Amino acid sequence: MNQIDSRIHQVLDGELGSDAVPAELGRAVGRLRAAATLLAAAPPGPAVSLESRVMAEIRRPSLSRARRLMRWLVTPRAIIFRVRPAWSLAVAAVAAALTLFTAGDGAPELAEHEGIAQFVGRFPEAQSVHVVGTFNDWRPGSIALEDQDHDGVWRATVVLPAGTYEYMFVVDGERWVPDHLAERLVADDFGRENSIVIVRPARR
Amino acid sequence: MDVTGSPPDAEVVALVLAGDTEAFGIVIRRYEAGLLRFATRMLGSRDAAADAVAESFVRAYRHLASCREPTRLRTWLYRIVTNRCKSHLVRRSVADVPLDDAPPVADPADNEAALERADQLQVVERALASLSPDKREAFVLKHVEGLSYEEMAAVTGERIPTLKMRVHRAREALLKVLEDHA
Repeated sequence: MNQIDSRIHQVLDGELGSDAVPAELGRAVGRLRAAATLLAAAPPGPAVSLESRVMAEIRRPSLSRARRLMRWLVTPRAIIFRVRPAWSLAVAAVAAALTLFTAGDGAPELAEHEGIAQFVGRFPEAQSVHVVGTFNDWRPGSIALEDQDHDGVWRATVVLPAGTYEYMFVVDGERWVPDHLAERLVADDFGRENSIVIVRPARR
Repeated sequence: MDVTGSPPDAEVVALVLAGDTEAFGIVIRRYEAGLLRFATRMLGSRDAAADAVAESFVRAYRHLASCREPTRLRTWLYRIVTNRCKSHLVRRSVADVPLDDAPPVADPADNEAALERADQLQVVERALASLSPDKREAFVLKHVEGLSYEEMAAVTGERIPTLKMRVHRAREALLKVLEDHA
């Protein structure tokens, strides 16, 4: 690629006045400025308004899947598939064992494509913790974690269609926190990291 | 584009977060023109740009609580749209960037200057489409959207020296195409 006189860049970056460069360079500056002006003009064609389209999407009621998740929220489940630190592993193991022993024939059957996800986080000072992610359209408030024994460890168990999901915790309704103990973390569109959970089908 | 209109961005964000969904319409009206222009220049297609910007607004609404600096809502929105555009571009090669092929149909009433302007625009659009996505993004943010290098860094997550280098390279490539065509 041909390098151009650095003074052209200086003029375009506002570091040098247009009249401080020779006419030939001034013409190059003018060409680039004219190109930018052309590009800055509204694209040809009828004006587009996205307001009605976007607002319709925003107003759309939540998916029935989310409502189903709410129903399942309070039902204990047995499968834990994410590694937790030692302090919560013990708690989770006891909870899982209790659930396994108490789960009777009346326990709801999972569909073949469904699996169980358990979300656990330690937030000693929190008043509320929710999990949001691609499974509930990132809607805060739809899946609450509980800290029944007030030890600062919050948990929720949900049934999800098998798949890979991104998620975060929302603490006290305002602080978005990734789960650094998740299987993986990925960068999101907002310069932060989302946690990844992989839900495997409970029945194969 | 009126980006400083009343009520201020921070106030609108607070309204939406307090449950006034309809207030998000203010955000859309305030920023859609600039975001659509940016996405159109990045993707070379008005339809693809409309999809990318609409998706971005929906994502922005759903993540609005995580917008840490509502006073910099504009930069935050550009960041979302930038990432949406990159996702679109990843799914196709740069060479496939479809400039909305059909140039505007010349109306008999069009005067010569308008037609010449349309020709010039086509040349510039093709030159822009020939740039790599990174350089195209840098040039459009800097010279079409008028962002400062600091704002560009916030939008792209890149360092300022990197962005300056991309803008320089983009200018050089564009100038070569424009001079070859002249």
